[in-house]
Amino acid sequence: MNVQVENHDKVLVAKVEGRVDSSNSQDFERQLQGAIGEDVKAVVIDLGQLAYISSAGLRVVLLVAKTLGQRNVSISLCALSDPVQSVFEISGFNRIIQIYDTQADALAAAG
Amino acid sequence: MSATLQLRIPNRIEELSGVSEAVETLGQEERWEQDVTYAIVLSLEEVATNVVRHGGGEPGSGEIEIEVTSSDDEVRVEVRDGGRAFDPFHEAPEPDLDAGVEERKIGGLGVHFVKVLMDETAYSREGGRNHVTMVKRRS
Repeated sequence: MNVQVENHDKVLVAKVEGRVDSSNSQDFERQLQGAIGEDVKAVVIDLGQLAYISSAGLRVVLLVAKTLGQRNVSISLCALSDPVQSVFEISGFNRIIQIYDTQADALAAAG
Repeated sequence: MSATLQLRIPNRIEELSGVSEAVETLGQEERWEQDVTYAIVLSLEEVATNVVRHGGGEPGSGEIEIEVTSSDDEVRVEVRDGGRAFDPFHEAPEPDLDAGVEERKIGGLGVHFVKVLMDETAYSREGGRNHVTMVKRRS
C-alpha cells in the first residue's frame, strides 16, 4: 500500500495504490491524515490503483471524512474498480461520500 | 476440479496478509471469477480479524485454523479457533447504513460484508472451539 499526494491549488489529491487491509490500515490512516495540510479546501482520494480494501480501510476513509467534515473541507473518491465500488455500495458509504468516475470529474466538482 | 488449502496461523493481525496471498493463489489456480476471489479474501479477512480482536487472550497466544475448499460449484471456507465463544453473525453490531458521515458509527461493517457477499454462513461452538462456515457459489 502506498499513498501518493499531489496538490492542485488547494485541492489535495491522494492516490492510493495496492491493498488496504487490517494489517496495514493504521499505516494507511497515518499516511492519509499526514498528507492533509491545514490550508486545503477539498480532498480527492483517487482509488484507481487500489486493488483491495476491507472494512479496516473503510473505517479509515470514514474517520478522515468525519475529520474533514468538522473542518468544512469536502471529500470525494474517484476511479473505483468494480470490486472496490461494490464494497463501498454494500457499506452504504456511496450515499455519504461523493464518488466520481474519473479524477478529472472529481477535480472539476472540487473546483 | 477440486482443491483444498489448509492453513494454521497464530492469532495475530500481521499473519492475515499471508492468508490473503495464499487464498488468491488458490483462486488463480482454480480460475475463480474476480468477484468470487474478492468475496472470499474479504470474508476470510473480516472473520479472522474478528477472531483476533474478540477472541480474548494475547495476540499470538492461540491459533486459527483455516480451510478453503474449491470445487466447480462453490468455494467453502471454514475457520476454527479456540478463543472465547463469539458468534459473529449474531453478536457483532449491525451497522446503520443510512446514517450520515457525522452520525455513522465505525464498526460492524466486516460482518455485514460477509453476510451480503457469501451465499451461506453458519456458526457453531464445538468442543470449546468456534467454527465459522461460509460458502460462495461460483455461478
